[in-house]
Formats: sequence, structure tokens, C-alpha cells
Amino acid sequence: VAVHLRVYPSTGCAHPCPHHCQSVRTRCQSWVVLRKKFVLFRHIFVGYSAVALNHIIDFKEKKQEIAKPVSPSELFPSLPIVQGTSKRLKVLTRLTLVVSDPSHCNLLRSTSTNIRLYDIIAVFPKTEKLFHIACTTLDVDLVCINVTEKLPFYFRRPPVNMAIDRGIYFELLYTPAIKDSTMRRYTISNAISLMQICKGKNIVISSAAERPLELRGPYDVANLGLLFGLSEGEAKAAVSTNCRATILHGETRKSACGVVYTVKKLHKVEEEETVPACKKAKTQA
Amino acid sequence: MVRFKNRYVLCEVLSEDPRCRQCIEDRAVGLAVRDAIARAHGDYGLGCCCVSFTGMKYLNAYTGTVLLRCRKDFQRLLSSALPLVRHLEGRGQRFPCALRTLHVGGTIRTCQKFLIQYNRRQLLLLLRSCTNEEERRSVRQAVLSCSLTEEQAQSGEEEEEDGTETD
Repeated sequence: VAVHLRVYPSTGCAHPCPHHCQSVRTRCQSWVVLRKKFVLFRHIFVGYSAVALNHIIDFKEKKQEIAKPVSPSELFPSLPIVQGTSKRLKVLTRLTLVVSDPSHCNLLRSTSTNIRLYDIIAVFPKTEKLFHIACTTLDVDLVCINVTEKLPFYFRRPPVNMAIDRGIYFELLYTPAIKDSTMRRYTISNAISLMQICKGKNIVISSAAERPLELRGPYDVANLGLLFGLSEGEAKAAVSTNCRATILHGETRKSACGVVYTVKKLHKVEEEETVPACKKAKTQA
Repeated sequence: MVRFKNRYVLCEVLSEDPRCRQCIEDRAVGLAVRDAIARAHGDYGLGCCCVSFTGMKYLNAYTGTVLLRCRKDFQRLLSSALPLVRHLEGRGQRFPCALRTLHVGGTIRTCQKFLIQYNRRQLLLLLRSCTNEEERRSVRQAVLSCSLTEEQAQSGEEEEEDGTETD
């Protein structure tokens, strides 16, 4: 099981922005190793306000069971305090599904699995059709964009605009860019092609760190966003406000069942009219 | 008024290996940053950023604080290349490390003011995790002596960060 750590920074860095956000991935064989690594992560966590542990589920291998997420309080007995406030680091859980086949998406629609227990759900589409499905109909919070290889498909405007309307965010990774020069080229080219379509909206920059030293501070991640073609304000938002919106999106997905919308007609006196439940994903703060 | 406007970038060197602290020196960090700029922005970037880049302005090996200077127009090139620093080489050894940007200022004085506040906050965090009464006293004394005075170039940086940080 590959475990990811997602880190959300807070004020305390050079330019105070509320709720900086970053996603960090660690590959760990067991939870004990994760705890040790978390201790090393500590000094880099200065400037962060929330962390999410991520599981990747890959359907190419034989069918795997989605386990219940481990409660963070068991793993980390003492969490560091967020710099600038007096609250502890928040630890969330996240699930990433690597889908290469439409039948894999059925898992998301079933209501009796452990998926509902995760705070944030992300999907990693491998083909154009799946990207379209993920942006338009799937009930997820994040769509991951492949940065380690050349994209097999081009982005088109309709699914991207629909995703922006629904409040789904696109996730870019930056640790491959730090590690390897070829990956950096793919990252930048994929990111720029996405920017041209979505104009820098709804972007979240996350990390896929396998070692604690591959993490970067919030200000640095925003600067890396400049390399990806974002403007300065958009890059800061990609690290702060967009991530908070994703957390809220996940929370509403977990807790909200539907919306009852009543309309009073002016001309006639009648009973209330209810529109069937529609999940509005975008949260207006 | 004709004046060269600079930007001073204050960074902190983070590493897992405690021996890396000894190897933080002027040349090593400069080479690492230049290498990162070359990898990210090529020859153009290297040429732009090295106009007024002759050495570090300030280096503190105990806390791993580094102050870099560049021209105001090329500060974005430098800032976007800093996260790409991965190794620090010195005395024939390579240490994996990371650079974290703390503050970008227009003058050395503003960076110094920020550094004093930042160190005071770090000292208070250390105070929280102090186990010994003597350590507590020395940390409190260090906090009280943080000030920006005209005589000294740096003030209030006599804390011991190595011992109490690692758990």
C-alpha cells in the first residue's frame, strides 16, 4: 500500500496566507515506518496546518480491498502545533484511485464500502474518456494530472470547464520536478497545457515526496507554481485557498446528502415544490 | 534616482544529517544555488542571477541561515530555482538537503529584522520542548537579549538548535 501524506501549511511563512496547502506522498511499507518519517517531517512542517494520509489504489493489479482508513490519533500521539496559532496539526485521510478502465469507477458509486470514511477522494484518469467522466460525473474532489510521462491525450475545454463549475480541482505534483530533469520537462509541459485551457483556476500543487527532504515550504511551492505558468496570485492560491476549498468539498461530500429547494410561485396558491436532491459541489465560503 | 535595486532572499538549510551543518559554507551553498539555477533556467538564468551574486551576504552555520542577493528584476528566477536544490557538496561529501525560503526583502536591514523575530519565535518553541531547567534559563536569556543594536551586526542568535530539535 503506498501511503501519501498531504500537508496543508498555515501562516508563519514570509507572506502570511491563510491555510496554505500542500500534498506530500510517502511510500511506506508499514504504519510504523510512517510514524518515524513523520517525526523527521516535523521541522519542515513549520508553516503547515493540516496533513492528510493518502492511500493509492491501483486497479491494474488484482482487485484490492479498500481498507478502512487508520485513525490518525492512533498513529501520531503528539502532533506539532501550527506556527502562529495554538491549534495542533490537523491530520486527514485521502484516497487516490488510479483508473484505467470505466468499470473501476463503479467502486465510487457503491455506498456500502469504506470509501465514505475518507476525507478526500482523488482520481487519476489514464485515458481521455476517463478524464471526461471524472470531470463531469464522478463524485470526487481532485483529479490528478500525470506529470511523469507525456500525456496520452490533450485537454479539451468542455470537461475542464465543467469540472471548474462543479468545484473539482486539478492536482499537479512537484517532487518529480525536483528529482529528475526529464520529469521536470514533462511536468512543465503538462502543466502549461493545462494552464492554457483552464487559465490557472482550480489548481492544487502537491508533492509526492518519498523522503522528508523532498518536501518544500509553502512559499517555495508557490514559487514553483510560477514555473508551471501560474501567475503570482494564482500560485499562492494554488497553495492556500484552493486546498482549503478541497477540504471543504470533501467534507460536504461526506456529510451532505441532498438539497431541498423550495420555490414559491407568485401567481397561484399551491403546495411547496421540491426539486430532487442535487449535489452542488462548489462551496461558497 | 539611479540606484541598483536588489532583493535579499533569506533561506534556511534543512537536512537530516547533523554533519551537514558543519559543511555549510559560503562556496558550497553558492555552488549549489548556481547549479540549481542553471538546471532550471539554463545559461540565461545563470547569467542574469550572477550579476551581483558574488558570495553570500550572511551565513550562520548553527541555524543554517543563508542570505542571498540578486537584482530586483531577476528575483523570480532565483526564487523559483531555490526549491530545486537537492545536494550540498563540501569537503568531498554530498549531503542531501533542502532550502526553505523564509523572507524576501529589499535591504539587509529588513531581512535582519525578520530574522530576529523569527529566531525569537523559534526560541519560544524550543522553550516549550525544553526538558532541563538550565536549558530553560539559557533559552530565556537568549530571548531577552534579542535586539537590533547599532554596534553588533547580528544579535540574539546564540541559541543551540541542534540538541533539542531532534526527537
